[in-house]
Amino acid sequence: MSEYVIEMRNITKSFFGNVANDNITLQLRKGEIHALLGENGAGKSTLMSILFGLYQKDSGEIYKDGEKVEINSPNDATALHIGMVHQHFKLIDIFTVLDNIILGSEPNTIGFVNRRKAAKRIKALSEQYGLNIDLKAKIEDITVGMQQRVEILKMLYRNNDILIFDEPTAVLTPQEIEELMKTMKNLVNEGKSVLFITHKLNEIMAVADRCTILRKGKCIGTVDIKDTTKEELSEMMVGRKVSFVADKPETKATDTILKVRNLSVQSQISKKLAVKNVSFEVKAGEIVCIAGIDGNGQTELIHGITGLTKLKSGKVYLKKKNITDAPIRERSKHGMSHIPEDRQKHGLVLDYTLEDNMILQSYWETKFVNFGFLRRDRIHYYAEKLTEQYDVRSLQGVKSTCREMSGGNQQKAIVAREIDKDPDLLIAVQPTRGLDVGAIEYIHKQIIEQRNNGKAVLLVSLELDEVMSLSDRILVMYEGEIVGELDPKTTSTQELGLYMAGAKRQGKEENK
Amino acid sequence: MKKVLLSLLLAFCAFSLIGCGTTESYEIAMVTDYGDITDQSFNQTTWEAVTDYANAHGKTYAYYKPAGDSTAERVAKVEQAIAQGAKVVVMPGFAFAETIYEVQDEYPEVKFIALDVAEGDVFGCFYVDPYAAEPVLKDENDQPHISSNVVCVVFQEEEAGYLAGYAAVMNGETKLGFLGGMAVPAVQRYGYGFVQGVADAAAEKGVEVELWYIYGGQFFGDATIKGKMDTWVEQGCETIFACGGGIFTSVLDAIEGKANCKLIGVDTDQSKSLPGKPVLTSAMKGLTDATKTCLDEFYGSWTVGGQVINYGLKTNTSKEYVGLPRDTWSMEAFTIAQYDAVLAAIRSGEVQISADTTAKLEDLANEFITYKNEDLGGSIK
Amino acid sequence: MLLLILFIVLLAFLLKKKRNVENVKQNIIDAARDEMEVVKTKKQFNKEWFKDFLKSEAFKNILASLVCVVLGLLIGFIVIIIVNAQNSPKAIMAILKGPLNAVKWKKSLAIVIFKSVPLLLCSLSIIFAYKCGLFNIGAPGQYVIGTMFALVAAHAFDAPWYICLVLAAVGGALWGIIPGIFKAFLNVNEVITSIMFNWIGLHLLNYVAGPDMDLMYNLTLAECKKLPVAAKLPTFGSEAFFDGSSFVTVAVPIAIVLVIALLIILYKTKFGYEIRATGFNKDAAKYAGMNYRRNIIVTMAISGALAGLAAATFYLTDYEIYSAVKQTSLPAMGFNGIAVAFLGCVNPVGAIFSSILITYIGVGGSYLDTTYYSSEIGNLISAIIIYLSAFSLIIKTIIGKISFKKKSKKALKEVKEADK
Repeated sequence: MSEYVIEMRNITKSFFGNVANDNITLQLRKGEIHALLGENGAGKSTLMSILFGLYQKDSGEIYKDGEKVEINSPNDATALHIGMVHQHFKLIDIFTVLDNIILGSEPNTIGFVNRRKAAKRIKALSEQYGLNIDLKAKIEDITVGMQQRVEILKMLYRNNDILIFDEPTAVLTPQEIEELMKTMKNLVNEGKSVLFITHKLNEIMAVADRCTILRKGKCIGTVDIKDTTKEELSEMMVGRKVSFVADKPETKATDTILKVRNLSVQSQISKKLAVKNVSFEVKAGEIVCIAGIDGNGQTELIHGITGLTKLKSGKVYLKKKNITDAPIRERSKHGMSHIPEDRQKHGLVLDYTLEDNMILQSYWETKFVNFGFLRRDRIHYYAEKLTEQYDVRSLQGVKSTCREMSGGNQQKAIVAREIDKDPDLLIAVQPTRGLDVGAIEYIHKQIIEQRNNGKAVLLVSLELDEVMSLSDRILVMYEGEIVGELDPKTTSTQELGLYMAGAKRQGKEENK
Repeated sequence: MKKVLLSLLLAFCAFSLIGCGTTESYEIAMVTDYGDITDQSFNQTTWEAVTDYANAHGKTYAYYKPAGDSTAERVAKVEQAIAQGAKVVVMPGFAFAETIYEVQDEYPEVKFIALDVAEGDVFGCFYVDPYAAEPVLKDENDQPHISSNVVCVVFQEEEAGYLAGYAAVMNGETKLGFLGGMAVPAVQRYGYGFVQGVADAAAEKGVEVELWYIYGGQFFGDATIKGKMDTWVEQGCETIFACGGGIFTSVLDAIEGKANCKLIGVDTDQSKSLPGKPVLTSAMKGLTDATKTCLDEFYGSWTVGGQVINYGLKTNTSKEYVGLPRDTWSMEAFTIAQYDAVLAAIRSGEVQISADTTAKLEDLANEFITYKNEDLGGSIK
Repeated sequence: MLLLILFIVLLAFLLKKKRNVENVKQNIIDAARDEMEVVKTKKQFNKEWFKDFLKSEAFKNILASLVCVVLGLLIGFIVIIIVNAQNSPKAIMAILKGPLNAVKWKKSLAIVIFKSVPLLLCSLSIIFAYKCGLFNIGAPGQYVIGTMFALVAAHAFDAPWYICLVLAAVGGALWGIIPGIFKAFLNVNEVITSIMFNWIGLHLLNYVAGPDMDLMYNLTLAECKKLPVAAKLPTFGSEAFFDGSSFVTVAVPIAIVLVIALLIILYKTKFGYEIRATGFNKDAAKYAGMNYRRNIIVTMAISGALAGLAAATFYLTDYEIYSAVKQTSLPAMGFNGIAVAFLGCVNPVGAIFSSILITYIGVGGSYLDTTYYSSEIGNLISAIIIYLSAFSLIIKTIIGKISFKKKSKKALKEVKEADK
């Protein structure tokens, strides 16, 4: 019997002559939590896809329990008891938990699904691993944390021994993350082996036994967690020293830039009130952060303020001007910049070139238009200047189609465009979602610089670290209401988590 | 996959190269108007006559269908036919008037047989605007004419219509309707003849006759026209002369299952093409005969060149260019002997039938006829 | 029965599962692209334009369209073989030779050019709307309204040809604006509205051009009266080149100018920037503060004007006289414009070639020997090609997959060689 339950030896994989995995070796011991750390684009996803059978390696070998295996499709992976919990859950909302778990491998008795038999087994599993779950509930009615438990049970139900977690904590509250960590430990205690993909160092330090670090397609090394530090890991990941605490000098909030009064917004999907009677202000020279778990009305609130959605009621003032019913163009002219939540849906025209996207908010200005005709030379020059200044990289310069660019560079392009407008109010919604440490650091710097220059910043973030390190004030949203206004200097992450989960709220009178 | 594609492509090229061989030649050509040779009407009858004739005389033949409803396309097809060796081109339908104008002098060595094309139709093409008060010639040196290599054929539809109307009333029908196609002269002549025949027979028998008369505005049946026919049948109309291409389908739909109700067919013997349907008789026009006669002329002495032949009962007393079908005779009260008698009367000039389509329907009727519909002589569409 | 239902449900499960795998694949491909980019930025690119062109989308588009045409011809060829194998070579030759079958081929060529112009304009109409993310299936309706405006102007007001052209464009524009307004203000799908307005337009035209209105109806021939000379499009002496055929008119240069104008509007102006942004990503256009409603309405107006103009270039000649009685269904011109647009890679220049090609093959189809192939076969073959041209997007995807495989194979080889 081999020491390793899975061993990937000297794996190489290239796309069009570009090497994504260069001679990578990964060894997973039985009963350990093994973290796979790397920036976006480091080769983590490729490596895991090879293990899961979605890609075929160019060279190298994979061993399971010391025996050489070929994995050519996800079915092969399943047969080898390799399972994966994806970042975005693959669950059917309107089905019950039970049905989702047995989906695809339904136990049947002469053609009928034998649910009772399945339920019995799942109950046994959930007790064994301490995964509390209501089998009869529908997916749409349960929390994200519970949905993740369903995914885990799905893997256990299929007798998987090797469990791959692809960035599992991105959508969870601190409490839920703690819960997940416990679950992972339970899993290894029961003899399972866990591969944990992440770029969050705290989590690795908390739960992993060992960690393999990838950088730019190469394996940098595998370390024992108990022998290393967070700083060391991050240096291995990025290739240089990274400062974790954003450098933030004291500034004084002055004039009110954005004033929101009794705002209510309907959800465009369910037509229910997603934002209920919300009021707040953002002053020049401060970063106000709206914290909360995804889906508590942040999206609708921002859409209401920026004009993408019609308000149900309430008023919005920008620099004392009532912009409640103003068209989007007018808000933009009056000094509002918006880094949208969904860069591909709102932020970019993916089929346009980078230079065309760079003028998306200013193409109508006289500097770019002459008698209705676009001034191509100026646009080109402007885009070149901007991409250089903000270090936006793309394959064919400003003539690249945005669709061909990586997510990080797409986001950088948007940030560059919105900040270059020199706005009085910068609204940034999850500006660092899905980006690697280097890019996050850069964007954080830009946001803080805006604040330091006396601009007002309204930030919406789901990342607690980001919330804590950037904001001057935190507004916590829960079920469409602002349930608390907190000062990051005097609040702990735990307390913030309680507000976000709706377990704690300030009285209405405090809310002002 | 690649190999399969490649071999297919090669085969394709090879075949194409072989295809550059000789083209076959056809002596008798027919060009269709905007219809097709399966239209159960004008094109089909003419085409059947052409194939009949050609097969009987061992001639080669082909038909050509223009790529669009346009003189340019028809001319192109005539030219294609000539390029493929056509010596005589048959053209059924009044739409060919302008085509005649274009090709008659360009191809003097080719003979053209134009069916249902009247002299005025061709002459009109010589003017810039034939409807102007003082028409101007397109070319001053080109006076309106029909060249010697062209024969135009028109029919005396009023005689066929007269016979149908006369026969129906003599057979005992007293509630009659006329449903025309479009109000083109040929259809009008059928209808006016029909009314005259009904009037004469009613007077002869001394019976009161109720009459309905309308045009459908098109040559095919549809729900609107069927609706109109339903109204007529409800009002008591029993025998309907459906005169225009496929418009008879609406009549058949309306009289479906109604006892006493009958259809009178047009152009060809429709009891043959509509077996099992209540077809009383058909007002036939001798397209077949006319086509064959003209082809005979072509292979004979071509004495008809440059003429417009009016095929009727008086044209040739031994032939029935218009008339009722004898071999499928189903009328009991009106016998073939009586039919022969009325034929003779027309041929001798004893019975006069007016072909004037400018007349008023009211003037054609006599005291035995009562018009029943308010939109008399109008058009449904 | 129960088993059957269960089976269907299970099947749905499986499909869903499969789609999940697809999703995962997509995510992973995205991730892989990120990874590539890091490496790739360092690599120098081969600047040879020809190689770049071979790799480009445009080349793939053109290739896909060519494959469609060849595929259509092949299937047509197979049909011909099935009907009558012996004469099939001659038949396919006839189709390929198109107007050159005719003895007076210049005359026939003139007809091909003549018919290509309205087809081109209809496809420009589709293309322009498509660039704004709208599917203008209302082109046939705008075409008939264009016919109506042109003919009424010509017959009732004795207007000269240029006024007739302008009015036809105005008529088409009006008919395009209506679905545009419905779409912009009430968010009613433009496909549904414009299909309904197609029929409203046709019946309106048939009323105006029919016997009831008696404005221009020729009772004897059951069609419109002959076109007044003043309304006829001038030929500027093109008869001399085309064997006396008077069908190559001023419409040809007008169409070419419109192609160029459209390209300029789409790619060089602020308006075109907005239109294409809206077409690519409606949400982003809204986010950028573009006036979505105005853009939709203006786009539909321009699109409609093009279709209306198409009708005028067809009916303001001696080629065909409109007949309210015969025209009981929507003209094929508008619909064929859709196929032509896609065969032409939704590009105005591409549409020039595809419209000529479709007309060319249509004429060829009419030269099949009717002794062996009934006249419907000719129509069938052109229909097959038109139909397949709508497949160019699928073909393009297939081509994309093939070239992807090739590239990966090549890359693999390179890596292996490098290892040695």
